[in-house]
Amino acid sequence: MKKLSIFIAIAGVVSLASCDKKLDLQNPQAIDAEVAFSTSDKVKKVLAGNYSSLGDGSLFGGDALWMSELMASGGDLNWVGTFPDPRQIWGKTIQTNNTYVAATYSAAYRVIFNSNNILAHIDVVDPADKTRVTAEAKFLRALAYFELIKYFGEKPFFAGSPATLKGVPLITAPGPTTPLDDFYKLPRASVDAVYQQIIADLTDAETNLPADNGYYANKPSASLALARVYLQQDKFAEARDAANRCINVATVNGFTLVGSYASAFNNDENTTEDLFAVQVTSQAGTNSCFTFFSTDTYGARDGDIEVTDAHYNKYSVLDNRRNLFFFEAGAWRCGKWRDVYKNVKVMRLAEAYLTRAECNQRLSTSVGATVASDLHQTRGRAGLVLLAAPTLQQILDERELELAFEGQGLWDAKRLRLTVDGNAWNADKMTFPIPLRERNVNANLSQNPGYN
Amino acid sequence: MRKLKLLVLSSILLLTQQLWAQNKTVTGKVTDSRDGSPVVGASIVIKGTTTGTVSGADGSFSLSVPNGTKKLVITGVGFEAQDVSVEGSSIQVSMKPQEARNLDEVIVTGYGSQVKRDVTSVIAKVKGSEVQNMPVADLSQTLQGRAAGVFVEAQNGKIGEGIKIRVRGSSTLNGSNEPLYVVDGVPLVGGVYGSASSDINFNDVESFDILKDASAAAIYGSRAANGVVLITTKKGKAGKTRFTLNTQYGVQNPTNKREFLNAAEYIELFTEAAINTAKYHYNRAGNWRGYASEAAAITDMTNYVRGRFNRYSGHSSWQNLETNTNWQDQAFNDDAGIGLIELSASGGNDKSKFYISGSINKQDGILIANKFKRMSLRFNFDNQLTNWLKVGLNMSLAKTERQRVSDDNAFNTPMQLVALAPITPLRNLDGVLYNTPTTTYYNGLIDVEDAKNHANGYRNQGNIFFESRIAKGLTLRNELGIDLVNQSDERFWGSRTDGGAGIGGAAWAQWFRNMRLVTNNYFSYLTSINEKHKIDATLGMSFENRYDEYSFVQGENFADETITTLEGAGTITDGTTTHDENNFLSYFGRVNYSLNRKYLLSLSARADADSRFGTNNKYGLFPAASIGWIMSDESFMKGAQWLSFLKLRASYGITGNNTGLGFYSARSAYGSVKYAVDGGGLGITNFGNDDLRWEKVATADLGFEFGLFNNRVTGEFSWYNKKTTDMLLAVPTPSPSGTTTILANIGEMENKGVEFSLNTTNISSKDFKWTTALNIARNKNKVLKLDGNQKEILPTSARFANAVIIGQPIGIFYGVKYAGADPANGDPLYYLQDGKTTTNVYGDAGQFIIGDPNPDWIGGINNTFTWKGLELNVLFQGVFGNQVQDGGGGFMSASADWFDNQTRDQLQRWKTPGQITQVPEARLNRFGDFESPAISTRYVYDASYVRLKNITLAYNVPQRVASKIKLSNARIYISGVNLLTFTDYPGWDPEVNTDYRSGNINQGSDFYAAPQIKSIVVGLSIGL
Repeated sequence: MKKLSIFIAIAGVVSLASCDKKLDLQNPQAIDAEVAFSTSDKVKKVLAGNYSSLGDGSLFGGDALWMSELMASGGDLNWVGTFPDPRQIWGKTIQTNNTYVAATYSAAYRVIFNSNNILAHIDVVDPADKTRVTAEAKFLRALAYFELIKYFGEKPFFAGSPATLKGVPLITAPGPTTPLDDFYKLPRASVDAVYQQIIADLTDAETNLPADNGYYANKPSASLALARVYLQQDKFAEARDAANRCINVATVNGFTLVGSYASAFNNDENTTEDLFAVQVTSQAGTNSCFTFFSTDTYGARDGDIEVTDAHYNKYSVLDNRRNLFFFEAGAWRCGKWRDVYKNVKVMRLAEAYLTRAECNQRLSTSVGATVASDLHQTRGRAGLVLLAAPTLQQILDERELELAFEGQGLWDAKRLRLTVDGNAWNADKMTFPIPLRERNVNANLSQNPGYN
Repeated sequence: MRKLKLLVLSSILLLTQQLWAQNKTVTGKVTDSRDGSPVVGASIVIKGTTTGTVSGADGSFSLSVPNGTKKLVITGVGFEAQDVSVEGSSIQVSMKPQEARNLDEVIVTGYGSQVKRDVTSVIAKVKGSEVQNMPVADLSQTLQGRAAGVFVEAQNGKIGEGIKIRVRGSSTLNGSNEPLYVVDGVPLVGGVYGSASSDINFNDVESFDILKDASAAAIYGSRAANGVVLITTKKGKAGKTRFTLNTQYGVQNPTNKREFLNAAEYIELFTEAAINTAKYHYNRAGNWRGYASEAAAITDMTNYVRGRFNRYSGHSSWQNLETNTNWQDQAFNDDAGIGLIELSASGGNDKSKFYISGSINKQDGILIANKFKRMSLRFNFDNQLTNWLKVGLNMSLAKTERQRVSDDNAFNTPMQLVALAPITPLRNLDGVLYNTPTTTYYNGLIDVEDAKNHANGYRNQGNIFFESRIAKGLTLRNELGIDLVNQSDERFWGSRTDGGAGIGGAAWAQWFRNMRLVTNNYFSYLTSINEKHKIDATLGMSFENRYDEYSFVQGENFADETITTLEGAGTITDGTTTHDENNFLSYFGRVNYSLNRKYLLSLSARADADSRFGTNNKYGLFPAASIGWIMSDESFMKGAQWLSFLKLRASYGITGNNTGLGFYSARSAYGSVKYAVDGGGLGITNFGNDDLRWEKVATADLGFEFGLFNNRVTGEFSWYNKKTTDMLLAVPTPSPSGTTTILANIGEMENKGVEFSLNTTNISSKDFKWTTALNIARNKNKVLKLDGNQKEILPTSARFANAVIIGQPIGIFYGVKYAGADPANGDPLYYLQDGKTTTNVYGDAGQFIIGDPNPDWIGGINNTFTWKGLELNVLFQGVFGNQVQDGGGGFMSASADWFDNQTRDQLQRWKTPGQITQVPEARLNRFGDFESPAISTRYVYDASYVRLKNITLAYNVPQRVASKIKLSNARIYISGVNLLTFTDYPGWDPEVNTDYRSGNINQGSDFYAAPQIKSIVVGLSIGL
């Protein structure tokens, strides 16, 4: 019996040593969701993390830019890569199960999810940082909604009655913690409602963001974002004023165009011209414009996107922007996206001058500066002569060349009512479909016209 | 006087019993019929009781038996049991070595063992001796074709890499479908690469016992849903120490090579394709390039293709056919060497026994730069310390060294060399390997010269145990086991390679350590009441802790490319370390009851608590029951002389699968997010679910086992129905929730099948013996439910068609049906949804079930012929009714769509109106005027095959000759693996699943996958 008791004791000790406490193990690489919003520092870290969400490859890490350009190619770009999904975007033959389209939709809502959670826990943040954290969270949310409404809204804002045009689901506060909750089966809000939310967020951001904020959101980037929003609404005066505020705040805070056009690109760090850029390093961040525009010589893929001779020839031989193109693997390549691990430019100061010039021209005003002088900001740098009395078309042409392949292609094409590859600006095929996967899980989500 | 004695029933199964009565003493000696040498440790039991003794070092025994005892049963490991009459007081027993499987075979069950006759569950046994010295790297490959319902598939011919095993089909979409491996009581875990089972020297294995039904496996609870492979290593045998020296040497080659275009054919086909493209563009694609005439288009295209030929032919002249490179041959190592050297010793006395071995197994891959080497040591030891306590140790240390090659979809993997043009010379005039733009794609041979891909793994596996006899029939076994895996994986790419170009060379190193500690503590109780009721009970607990550590460093800009460690990197670009932990607490029990050894019942249950389960489901319970009826022992069956044995059995039980859950899947978590150089913050890394739990598999099994003509024919049949519920799925969620999926236990799947095995002794004469072992199995998998809304998960790739569709088997091919080339114009045609009319627009084609990667039937037939000292063993293995899709077809069998070299069958392309062919007109897709070929039945093939899996011809030197040269035995053999393959599959090899995408759903895919290894070796095994 003595032996038996020894063994039972051994077995008992072993069993006790492994009591239930050991069954609750924390992931050493993570903290629980509730803990992440428990202190001011942690909430601010979640905000910093949301820039990474914004810089997701499917969003401002590149896709949101090149998809706009491919769709607006109009003979300027060729997709020659093997991936069928970008080819659909290029050909305006998008299937509802296009994975790039679905990924961009989801990535935008992740940014919104993060911002909503930050804003819901804003009271945890130190009073000194509260306004700025709020403004940054709203800035990021607005940028995400703006991409969503442009790509997925039924039609552009000015294509009909924005109050009845279908936009995207609008969610501005955290919902239940169970993602399968019916709460998330949201219907599409109107285009107008989404734009109102974007303008409200950006206005708050513009008011409360610091003029200079490192590589995080700053006041002039919020102004330029607002200018973009107003342009999409055909509100030229508001756009002009926002661009003007952008330039005014930027220029007194050290922002200025860099000396040469080439040096505005392929940068590790923001230049004085970058109002806002997604930061890419060898260790973090994605630049999918590089992946698809550049070539294997530079560590990219095989050069999936080619620049056509037609586009190349749009630059006069005197225009030094032409020199940024490089010929590789049988075609012209866009040098803006040549090198690996470089930032993705989201907003450059140059655009503000072009927007102000265009709006002043349209409104026959000269708020901030004359049209000619604004236009010469970029033309002059490109080595072109001053246009004393530029026409609207000249301004738009200049805008096309200066901002080529930086993501504004489709939005400018639409607001300028251009026909792209035979598709009218308001054609059904010029809008993305609501992704099939979203409609599969949300019966309240209607499809855009022309898709099923 | 009451005297206690320990009874060893076998060296694997240790049970205790007391000897009660003594009326008469019987003595005797047990010898080996082959050479008359003593058999040590044979058990001598009074028939119908459990009373007995064991033979000593000289084979002798002494046993007290009650008066009136008529028979003794003598059993010994490796010998056939026999009954001897008690006549007089001295008995001479000559034991015949065990040959055919018989009912007294010991079957290892979880935490115990049982003789085959009494087993009511379904367990397939493969003896180590059957697979000994098979020239393959991984022990799971040795099981191929040998056990009913056990499907084994090597993904490709890379050495020591992924091998898929399915016991009775696939039970999960997102978890692992591999069985649980348990080596001497310690579960085996994988590392970051390679298969865990390749770390084990299978020549050390005594037996593989594959637990297939729920009744057998439920004792392993939440990890048993895919069956359990119990691996028992060799133990020492008492007696003179036996040394065995084992050597083997041979060569390996691919099972098959494909035919590609030679230089002349390449030039011809692509010139033709260029002209066709020009015509197509001018006449049918709107001539948007604006050629002045068809002739102008042809001139332009001809110049274009000639430009390419100029580029691709490097320093040589393609016009004069100066170069005709066979790039496929460059991928392979002809007659790659394989070798084995091994020394083992086994021996001991009635108290202590040991088995030690050391081996080196070296294989050069059939692919260039692919190598495998395993060095292993084993030490198994046990000692009967006192009459109640036995202690022991089973320990192994193995090192595997691998030179690995990239996944099949990488440009630098050797097999992708076949894409390069035959007009391209290997090297330029300076002797330097050509690269792009001279080669069509990156030249993977540069990796052989300038890259390294070395991986080393160390595995220390084993346990110590204490086995105590506490009271009559009651023992306690305490085990403490470890499985410690250390792996390093170091890679380097020189600046000339595609991995290192533009960044001055690159390297990374990953280090991984996995430590698993296991303790098993269980009581076994064996008793019989009135010799009528026999009870064998087990009750215990187990606790496991698993701790994984991982680190990773990556760098670029190497100062000097001879310094390939990360010390040589100018920039460290990435690095991380992670730790992960899992705890697992279990209680288990089992009762086997038999009434008159005729009516059998087994009940078992296990409760598992796993730290990965959600807080709402901390414990899972896995019960099982089985019954058996040995009908042949009934009096009403006695008349049927021909029927020597018949057992009916039925079982039902629940097992689980925890592998679909990550260690922390249940918890919502925020982790570090990197941003910018100095930025970064927190981001949500997991959306948790407190309800997460194991997947549940309920299995019902009905079967019978039979023996005919005095068990000269034995066999087994099983029917099963295995239903998975609570299957884990990443359930799609609306994006506004912040995530696109959430893991939940929601899906359902089933596997129904039958298994049949038959063992016959066809001829058994004095000198010649012929036995056959046959097994066949059919499994039908069906997905029953996804998340409740989804009806299907459709293919996401243009190259592959694997889908999940409710009502269909997992990974079914769903896609477009190809209708051949349009006889009128050579366009590829596809069927519309009506299945009759055709279209030349791929996107308009209908979607159909176009194939199934899951075989309908699998089987094996093993014939063994022995004639005097000669032994011939022939194993054929077959897989039937499955299809394979060749995802590489869209590149290499694509009617010259791009400049990839084409398979020779593309010469059958359409050329003249009215021509009926499957190969469309050759057209180079320069302008994107038409779609490049994507997946359709054009690239789906029947992949049934029958293979001569293993053939061994051996000669055992006669004892008298061997002893003259002071050897106890000597065996010389020649053995081949995969020497013949019979199949209609046109690719390299029908046994394939390309590694870069292989998974539960992605099965039956070929994509430049290396063919299987065909090897032939000669070997010598001598015993001292």
